[in-house]
Amino acid sequence: MSSTPVSDAQLIARAVVQDDRHAFGELVRRHQSAVRSTLRRLTGGNIAQADDLAQETFLLAYRNLKSFRQEAKFSTWLYRIAYNVFLADARKIKELPMPEDAEGEPVAVADAAAPSMSRQAALSVDLERAMRVLSEPERAAIVQCYHNDLSHEEAAQVLGCPVGTVKTHILRAKQKLKARLGAWSPQA
Amino acid sequence: MNTQDIDTADWLDAALKEAGREHRAAYVADDGFTARVIGRLPAAPTLPAWRRPVIILLWLLAGAGAFVALPGAFDDAFRGAVALLVGRPLGLADIALLLALCGAAAWTSLVYAAKAN
Repeated sequence: MSSTPVSDAQLIARAVVQDDRHAFGELVRRHQSAVRSTLRRLTGGNIAQADDLAQETFLLAYRNLKSFRQEAKFSTWLYRIAYNVFLADARKIKELPMPEDAEGEPVAVADAAAPSMSRQAALSVDLERAMRVLSEPERAAIVQCYHNDLSHEEAAQVLGCPVGTVKTHILRAKQKLKARLGAWSPQA
Repeated sequence: MNTQDIDTADWLDAALKEAGREHRAAYVADDGFTARVIGRLPAAPTLPAWRRPVIILLWLLAGAGAFVALPGAFDDAFRGAVALLVGRPLGLADIALLLALCGAAAWTSLVYAAKAN
């Protein structure tokens, strides 16, 4: 007999009302992968930094769980906290692993594609590298809309900016990526 | 936007969507992450074990003090309330029974409070 899985809302209620840490632990277990991989993207692949920020994200979520109004999905709320934690950390160290370092050198297909690599895998590698040329808000918009599969409205909630700004960031990001990944273009 | 732009945009969009699918499919193993988060949660606020019985005792003492200080008022209020409920004046047997019940309830509360801690 299979038991009905407990919903996020039920776990949140238990964590808030009864201070049930097992319930909160289950929430962490459910969402840690998405939050950690999002932060890995935002930090440009720095796993240790991303995991530290992910811990801060969940600790902040625990402290502010009472203020979660269930207007958005719990995952969207977590992404917002994660993004704010990431921004605060970026401000603290005052130096993001930014783009300008690598700007100007287009990614070459052959550069990334080892002989055994499939075309898709090679493209993924190049795309990952090309993402570094994006500014932090542009990268965040791409991560939320494409990697986390959020709508523009949800991404705007997470990033704390108007929907129009999200669309602009995505448009600019695509222009930059197009310039960097010119070798992958069907017209190339 | 010319045709070339549209083709390029579509190609890039497809590549980003594919990368997104890969990203969502790639599960990051917990590897003790949840335990580390739970270990860093602030300690749950706990009351000292002696606090509850002491509070109950203080309330009982306060009640007894008030009873001693205002015997007439308590007596009148008590007799009036019981007469209202029961519909007849109280006898000595009724009062004795009520006192016994109150005493038993107070001791039960004390024992429960001590055990709960």
